[in-house]
Amino acid sequence: MFLISILGSVVAPFMVVVASYVHMKTEDPAQLITFDEIFYETNLYTVLIIGVPLYGVITAYLFGREYLENTLKNLLTIPVSRINYIMSKLVILFMWIMLLSLVSWGLTLLLGVLGQFEGLSTLLIVEYLGRFITGGVLVFILSTPIVFVAVVMKNYVPTIILTIVITLINVMSGNSEHRALFPWAAAGDIANGTLQPTYPAEISYTTIFITSIIGFIAAIVYFKKVDIH
Amino acid sequence: MSAIIKTINLTKIYGNQISVDHLSMNVKQGEIYGFLGRNGAGKTTTIRMLLGLIKPTNGKIEIFGENLFKNQKEILRRIGSMVEVPGFYENLTAKENLLINSKIMGIYKKNAIEEALEIVGLQDETKKLVGKYSLGMKQRLGIARALVHYPEVLILDEPTNGLDPIGIKEMRRLIKTLAEERNITILISSHILSEIEQLADTMGIIHGGKLLEEVTFDDFRKRNRRYIEFQVSNDNKALMLLEKHFNIFDYEAHDDGNIRVYSYLGQQGRMNKLFVQNDIEVFKITMSEDKLEDYFTNLVGGGTIG
Repeated sequence: MFLISILGSVVAPFMVVVASYVHMKTEDPAQLITFDEIFYETNLYTVLIIGVPLYGVITAYLFGREYLENTLKNLLTIPVSRINYIMSKLVILFMWIMLLSLVSWGLTLLLGVLGQFEGLSTLLIVEYLGRFITGGVLVFILSTPIVFVAVVMKNYVPTIILTIVITLINVMSGNSEHRALFPWAAAGDIANGTLQPTYPAEISYTTIFITSIIGFIAAIVYFKKVDIH
Repeated sequence: MSAIIKTINLTKIYGNQISVDHLSMNVKQGEIYGFLGRNGAGKTTTIRMLLGLIKPTNGKIEIFGENLFKNQKEILRRIGSMVEVPGFYENLTAKENLLINSKIMGIYKKNAIEEALEIVGLQDETKKLVGKYSLGMKQRLGIARALVHYPEVLILDEPTNGLDPIGIKEMRRLIKTLAEERNITILISSHILSEIEQLADTMGIIHGGKLLEEVTFDDFRKRNRRYIEFQVSNDNKALMLLEKHFNIFDYEAHDDGNIRVYSYLGQQGRMNKLFVQNDIEVFKITMSEDKLEDYFTNLVGGGTIG
């Protein structure tokens, strides 16, 4: 699963860089595509398109495997407290998302160097490292509703369907000036520094954190009460 | 001897269904308690409540003299358990699986894992992934995991499920050895009468969520009823003669002309003579006693497949 997730995280940088390189060499040789652009687009696609379903699958795997492999009853009778169980899984999820964000950033940099794109500077590297990490952190924060679905349904399918719906809304709201109201779309704008002026930034941050807290509390409350069969 | 596991009116209701119904059990320290019941009787639900996996609707659970839900963490640390089919991380070896458990438990005793694997006979399976294990091996590994932290109480839910006859015999030997050598209190659930009969010191019979009987096997054998069993050509006539001439009403009629008489033991010669004089053929006379199977069937009834 880990190796598959790495493959998932290289999709965005690979496609962006390759598409940019092909475009540069074939359609418009005069146009220079810079590191700024490939970093920007990779981060955008990662946060808005690839990241949600990819990290959703990882979430479903992390929380679902204990049901699938029938090991949850072992953990809880060790005993591991139910809250500790959820928190431990969230810590692993965070580390996993951060790693994949770094892979995505690192590969974009590497492919950009190999493709000899313009505009590389230390400042740019550091700036986009921060943005990739911010994007990863925000997508992690917004994973709690997906965690709730994974814990309740104990199955990959509903979790993946939810992430596809989120991704669809991200795409559909791509050109909307009201996308700041949708937490995942807002996360993409925050990560890339492109928050729309339609609403104050506090609105976007608030929707993100409220969504996250509701998902977290729902997951904890449900899991604390549920009978383990 | 004090009760190390005690439930008081333990109840679990799912919607309209009462899965466990005011169950009050007492498992004494150092004994093997056989929790016997048909499939669906409520054994596993009860055990899951004892381990905190299911919350009771009502009632109380005391383990080591303490309320389970007030001190669950400390109590569960002293218990080893295996609930139904044990689950493992199948991409890891036995040792790796036990290492994960040990680390989470904070067990630092050297060789604890090796000892546990040796007790169950898996000490040589160092490289085989658990995913390649047979069911019997997984059951044994489940016991090893339950033992690795030197528990005072072992709770085993149907540990012989799916095992072949040799595997069942090995599991029985293992459980007996643990009880004798480590003085562990063992609660074992099963729907197999012979298993409980051969293993347990005390038996608790559960049916329809209710604990119908809780008795030590010593007491069971003492109050076990002896009887004279006749196989005759006309059981109705034979019983009428017994009622008329001996005033016997404590009897049972079974299939194929078999009748069991629970009183006037020692008078089988006179009864035989009475039957023969009244043209009843007697094919067989035996002295016997109620088996656990008969006792269990009388207690829970029959008629359906469990």
